[in-house]
Amino acid sequence: MTDVLRIALPFTLWIIGFCALYALQGLVCSHHWPAGLDGRTALVAAAALFVLGQGVVLAAVLSRPAATRFAQRVATILAVAALAAAVWTSLPVLALTVCG
Amino acid sequence: MLAGSAAILLLVLGLLSAALLRRPAIPEAETGGRVWFWGFGLGFPLVTLAALTLYGLVIGERLLPRDAPDLATVEAEARQWAWTFTYPDAPGLATDGVLHIPAGRPVDVRITSRDVIHSFWVPRLAGKLDAIPGHVNILRIEAPAAGTFAGQSAEFSGEGYLGHVFTVQAHDPAAWARFLAGGTP
Amino acid sequence: MTQRTALRLHKALARIWAPEPGWRGWLTTNNNNDIGRLFLAVATGFFVIGGILAMLIRAQLATPGSAFMGPEAYNQVFTMHGTVMMFLFAIPFFEALSMLLLPGMLGTRDLAFPRLGAYGLWVYIFGGSAVIIAMLMGLAPDGGWFMYPPLTSAAFSPGLGADVWLLGITSIEVSAIATAVEVVVTVLRYRAAGMSLSRMPIFAWYILVVSVMILTAFPPMILGSLLLETERALDWPFFQVENGGDPLLWQHLFWLFGHPEVYIIFLPAAGMIATILPVMSRTTLLGYGWVVAAAVSLAVLSFGLWVHHMFTTGIPHLGLAFFSAASTLVAVPTSVMIFSWIGTLWKGRVRMELPMLWLLGFFATFVIGGLTGVMLAVVPFNWQVHDTHFVVAHLHYVLIGGYVFPMIAAVTYFQPLLTGRFRYFRLGEVAFWLVVPAFHVTFLAVHVAGLLGQRRRTWTYDEGQGWEILNLVASIASFVMAIGFALVILDILINTFAGLRGQRNPWGAPTLEWAAPTPSPTYGFGSIPIVRGRYPMALDPDLPQRIAKGEGYLADTARNRRETLIVDTMTGEPAEVAVLPGNSRLPFLLAVVTSTSFLAPLVGAYWLSALALSGVVIIALIWVWQLVPATTEGPVDAGRGALLPVASETANPPGWWGSLFLLLADGVHFGSLVFGYAFLWTVAPNWPPSSYLRSEVWPVMLALGGAVALIAGPRLLARAIGRPALPGLLVATCGALALAAAAASVMLARPAPEGHAYDATLWLLAGHTAFHAALVLIMLGYLSLRRIAGHALRVGEARIVSLWADFAAATGLVALGAAWLPGAFA
Repeated sequence: MTDVLRIALPFTLWIIGFCALYALQGLVCSHHWPAGLDGRTALVAAAALFVLGQGVVLAAVLSRPAATRFAQRVATILAVAALAAAVWTSLPVLALTVCG
Repeated sequence: MLAGSAAILLLVLGLLSAALLRRPAIPEAETGGRVWFWGFGLGFPLVTLAALTLYGLVIGERLLPRDAPDLATVEAEARQWAWTFTYPDAPGLATDGVLHIPAGRPVDVRITSRDVIHSFWVPRLAGKLDAIPGHVNILRIEAPAAGTFAGQSAEFSGEGYLGHVFTVQAHDPAAWARFLAGGTP
Repeated sequence: MTQRTALRLHKALARIWAPEPGWRGWLTTNNNNDIGRLFLAVATGFFVIGGILAMLIRAQLATPGSAFMGPEAYNQVFTMHGTVMMFLFAIPFFEALSMLLLPGMLGTRDLAFPRLGAYGLWVYIFGGSAVIIAMLMGLAPDGGWFMYPPLTSAAFSPGLGADVWLLGITSIEVSAIATAVEVVVTVLRYRAAGMSLSRMPIFAWYILVVSVMILTAFPPMILGSLLLETERALDWPFFQVENGGDPLLWQHLFWLFGHPEVYIIFLPAAGMIATILPVMSRTTLLGYGWVVAAAVSLAVLSFGLWVHHMFTTGIPHLGLAFFSAASTLVAVPTSVMIFSWIGTLWKGRVRMELPMLWLLGFFATFVIGGLTGVMLAVVPFNWQVHDTHFVVAHLHYVLIGGYVFPMIAAVTYFQPLLTGRFRYFRLGEVAFWLVVPAFHVTFLAVHVAGLLGQRRRTWTYDEGQGWEILNLVASIASFVMAIGFALVILDILINTFAGLRGQRNPWGAPTLEWAAPTPSPTYGFGSIPIVRGRYPMALDPDLPQRIAKGEGYLADTARNRRETLIVDTMTGEPAEVAVLPGNSRLPFLLAVVTSTSFLAPLVGAYWLSALALSGVVIIALIWVWQLVPATTEGPVDAGRGALLPVASETANPPGWWGSLFLLLADGVHFGSLVFGYAFLWTVAPNWPPSSYLRSEVWPVMLALGGAVALIAGPRLLARAIGRPALPGLLVATCGALALAAAAASVMLARPAPEGHAYDATLWLLAGHTAFHAALVLIMLGYLSLRRIAGHALRVGEARIVSLWADFAAATGLVALGAAWLPGAFA
């Protein structure tokens, strides 16, 4: 079962991070957001955390090999892909208009 | 986008036909995976998609309603199956089925709905934006010159959906001023 | 000699696995062969109905100003076409094929929970029939297949149509979830000996991924239906702006389901392609590991796309950008798959049989659909063509090209296995050459009409807009396509009943399903095969004979019951012996009462609904009661010298695995509810409500104490196997009651859920908590009854209750915490 979880983990984290980022964006643009806090800074920080988290997952997958070569190979592909996906889907926070 | 898609389609179908026509005497061992996966599978779509998404986002940013010195604002309220337009610059003024705007100036349309969800769409002026009860969505449009433009709702809204249309009339500065003053433009 | 061993084994197994004779056999059977065939037939029937509806649409749109239908009829027809094709055809059809084929592919005798599979079938038949009957009575829903409120709220759709949709579709989703649980547990645990993860047939990977997707994508939709139905029936204002609701909440919940749904439909087809295409090219799949990784990543990425159906709702551009980026990203794993398949063709030598033709039809069509999909992911382009016929054409390219064509390929490919007969009449080729060209003519024309501005869902159009010729061409071609589809069905029917008797494994396929006799007998394999590679039939051509002779596991029929092997998830080492239930009328009865409880509210018979619900509880109790014998038997001889425990006597019995994945779905459902609450709190216009709930201290203490007791009680029980069970039962019962009381305090403090969406949400949060506490109470009652009847309690049973109790405690604390938090800070 651990091999199955290892294969499932990288992208499960990606979807959680992705939804969290979108939720934060919703919050930043709502009336609940405190006036003194810069929305973009918060979003960029969250995105950095997201990417960092995926990096940690990749490092963990690489440092502790799976029980089988197959699971190790698939998990590595997925961990790299999830890291790339995190970077790619986070990029918009750097440049785009935050609300509007 | 169409030409690019056609090129990709031809590439894929070309490879496919080549694969079909090619008849190796003995089936090959698992070689050449690198080209297929790293080259075609990953490299190729990533490059094209990155370019396309970037392009789309830049255009999208340019279409956003930003502050402009000569900005005009109008309001559009949809209901089953009609549109009422009001004008903050001329309180009390309301038109049914015809939206009047100044030509050659950016105009923000503040869109909302009184009942179900509708969508404001004037194909020649901008993309569509939904009219949602309780929400005000702002669409930036700009008519290049005076004239009439066809508009319609673009969200299914029940039996009268087909006839849920309106027109946009863009005026030159003089006619716009006459309209706001309550006269015939 | 050996021949005689095989025959004796066959006779014994055939007797043990035989359905009841006569028509009653169809109602009581739960064997995957029977259930799968019924499922397949019914799903095909719904495809025909959906196709007829499509023809009505094209007939109406063939000419401008058509008087064939008015808007009332047309709105029902297009809503039903979408609903029937998506819910009643596409999902059940691949479920049917997987039920039929999966045990063979995995080298096991049946699916993990045969009665659950039968239950899913009957719920689907009842729910689907109700929707169709309502349509024939003119009571069909008419708000479009995605049912946006407020158009579908009571104020704007006062009739029964929307209720039919919500209740009928929810019962079908229950059926899909039942099947998904069954499939996940089967793939993870019920396989041939030695079938490790990397030796699983590729289809098993795909269907595993798809089943997990069903478990995580359907719950938001079920929640959405629950919210809309309570709004319609009880006036709880979840989507009414003036009372704190927001219609956008529906769109989020619907598309949280709706987008993954597209991939839930596509991935099984992709799994079929990855299975059939290598055989058709006389080679093996290129890059198995890559394809597995692509399937997994595509599945998860598809959950990050839902907002791209809402690009025109006024969500800030940055929000759209996230989803635009994710939307273009899904093209990457898709293209990995496509190029894996082309690479497979490249290294092999293709034979142009009928299944291969349909796969080529897939390539030509799906690539175009994928490319228009990428176009739609570009936000400004989407703003123009959203809700035009361009989108209609795109989704038909993806769904027909990406799903229907591969499924036809699959049916023609597996026909020898399922019927034991070979194609003799060559109608299928004619059908192919009618369907595929006609399809392209139809939907290329629809693409262009969309680009020229024709809106979808308009019941007619005026002359002079340049759409006349396009629509006429599309309509004529669509009728040719319909004739082609009719020929496809005719071809399959003819060859099923009048084809040639053929030998085993006619395609020379390397996977296990072809090791079974054709047509596959009810028990599947004479003994559980032992595999040493990914392509066992290629490694060992004599495998079928050796399986039939009983050289695998569980060839001994002395115990006279249906048995199959459970293996270790990773390595495939034999681990347990599963005892499967025999014929039973319970699934049918349970489906009758479940459907009654869903459908009775349609005619206002709430009392009947409540009565049926208690029927559900009673039958479910009998169901589990029958599952486990009164006494334990210890390890049994599994053949080949292996002594294995019976599954029900292990710490994690199949029921524990099933519960685990059912709770995954339940957890996503709960997560969606919390999301809905947070969404309304953040976005809904008429918030905050006039006051927030301020809790006193005692309900908080009750909830905390209850949760602790709920977590501790079943654990005490599991540790005390063989000793008195009373302390554990008592602690757990008190915990469940305390948690339910805390939930009740929330309802009592806010007695008017119809006043504001906030109050309505509190009721749902508290209701969720109380419902799960009640479930645990029922389970505890069951355990007590077993003790009173003198049955031996098993660790596994206690651990299953523990799982549900943990879930009730955890979600209860989150739900009540979410209910109390705003008041504590206000």
